[in-house]
Amino acid sequence: MRKRQIFLLALLFAVLAIASCFWLDRFQLLLVQSVATAGVAALALHVLTGMAGQISFSHAGLIGIGAYAGGILGNAGGDILSLVGAGVAGAVAAALIGWPALRLRGLYFAMATLAAQFLLEYLFKHLEPITHGASGLLVRPLTIFGYPLASDRSVALLSIVLLLMSWLVCSAIAGSHLGRCFIVVRESEIVARGMGINVARTKLAAFVISGSLAGIAGAVFAFASRLAHPETFSLSMSIDYVAMIIVGGLGSAGGALLGAGFVTIAPESLQRVGEALNLSDRVFAIREIVFGALIILFLIFEPSGLRAIVHRLGSRGLQFSREMSSKIKRRKLVR
Amino acid sequence: MMVAIADIGISGLAIGSVYALIAVGIVVIYNASGVVNFAQGAYAMAGAYATDLFAGTLGLPIWVAILLGVLVLGLLGLLTELLILRPMSGAPVVAVMMATLGILIIFRGVVLLAWGPDARPFPSPFGLGGVHVGSIYVSYTYLAAALASVIAAGFLLVFYRFTTLGLLQRCVADNPRAAVALGISIDRQVGTAWFLSCALAGFGGVLMAVLGGLHESISHIGLVAFPVVIFGGLTSAGGAVVAGLLLGLLEALTGGILVTVFERWLRLHTSIYSVGALQQVLPYLALIFVLLVRPQGLFGRAQRERL
Repeated sequence: MRKRQIFLLALLFAVLAIASCFWLDRFQLLLVQSVATAGVAALALHVLTGMAGQISFSHAGLIGIGAYAGGILGNAGGDILSLVGAGVAGAVAAALIGWPALRLRGLYFAMATLAAQFLLEYLFKHLEPITHGASGLLVRPLTIFGYPLASDRSVALLSIVLLLMSWLVCSAIAGSHLGRCFIVVRESEIVARGMGINVARTKLAAFVISGSLAGIAGAVFAFASRLAHPETFSLSMSIDYVAMIIVGGLGSAGGALLGAGFVTIAPESLQRVGEALNLSDRVFAIREIVFGALIILFLIFEPSGLRAIVHRLGSRGLQFSREMSSKIKRRKLVR
Repeated sequence: MMVAIADIGISGLAIGSVYALIAVGIVVIYNASGVVNFAQGAYAMAGAYATDLFAGTLGLPIWVAILLGVLVLGLLGLLTELLILRPMSGAPVVAVMMATLGILIIFRGVVLLAWGPDARPFPSPFGLGGVHVGSIYVSYTYLAAALASVIAAGFLLVFYRFTTLGLLQRCVADNPRAAVALGISIDRQVGTAWFLSCALAGFGGVLMAVLGGLHESISHIGLVAFPVVIFGGLTSAGGAVVAGLLLGLLEALTGGILVTVFERWLRLHTSIYSVGALQQVLPYLALIFVLLVRPQGLFGRAQRERL
């Protein structure tokens, strides 16, 4: 019952978002698209960190792999297969990174992914025959079954559809045997081994699923910006994603989406405020300071993240409406 | 050829000794509180800028400025522990890592805001010139950087072995519960560890600025220091020193010799023209190798897990 409710809610939300796309201006469409794309990538990290409890600093690298794979396939006329190919490339890269990292846990796993992030950044920059090096890979608009997605609106629609699909994948995993295995591994690897769960294989599965989602998000990045550039997929992007799922509320898909929206929109609005206050030359530095401070404040004062705040507001609203309705009823009874 | 290699080796050891200082700081904090401090590089950067503030803007003699800078950094570390890490005790490891990353982001933002993105010259306290050892020329700066790191590491060793405070530190690192039972205040010891570690990092940052100029990118050293820490063993300060020197040497040799050889080969056989700064990713290649072969590092203890 509850599951169906969530599904209907997600569907309703997606339909509303898609409908709203038709009367947004270009900048708003860009925001919608970047939030939705970031949402897909945040869900990818949620599978690995939120569900299976492994910290990754290499997600920008995986997103980059998807961007390059999608861009190259799309330029070669890959049609919708370039999205699939990006997902596969992300999964393969994740498996390659995950292979050595399998035996590691906690901090050591994080370190291995940090190393992988730097290696991938280096490869993006220097494998010139494939990635076009520091000048970046120019990407032609994606075509889906021959229909080119050239406008901002169509890319935004694509990203919303993909977000809905990855949300469904995530909730399907959460309810499956595999999802339960992830949670046991997260809570205690020893207990998981005791229950007969193959810890290494479970972690690898989480990483591969996560990598394929990240790869798809990367392809959308590339098709939206028409460019795959090595500077984009840097460590600071990886940190942004970890920040998203923590600020949103670790361990819940909804939290990951809230975090994706927050981390994408907050800097943008700070930029606006800075420009309005005539501080545009310093706005980058101020943005960084505020972003860092927000992360720390959240971690100290609201460890369960935005999700908890929304939850509290929601239940307060519900309580309020209940009180109001009972008051009205009482009044009717008095009469 | 031999002279060239020796030159490269010396510059590698100088940089490596700074890596060692930063890495030792990370180990000190990890041992005391189990916190993995990603912001160590930010403290190094802050140390360099604070020293510059005292020496350049206030016009104090450079040695006094360094001393003040290191002291201020120690206090900053103490403050960080008190305001950010202590309220977070008991939070999951990811959250604590993220908090230290937040500190890194804030520090970098502050430096960008106050000093801008351009590199600035840094006054050398060691003077120009150098000494000749046979036919090898060693500049005072390199010599002093290496020497200063050795002295700092030696000081740490003496501190841990022969002072009461050092004993308390080791006690907390070894067994926090027993430490509490003996009446040792863990909070105070963790605070001390942060003071020490950040002061060391500040000093490392000053050396870094002397070697390569004052720039916001000094904070990157914190991330390079992680391969060093893992390489040496997360819990071993001595290991961090050895690994720091090794990695510095390896990096300099790669940058000085291997890159040219490798590029020549690549140009002959592929269309890749440049391999760029291969030496910058080398620590991470080494890190992956070490994690595969010996995850506990050269001198670390293998972790045992209990329920």
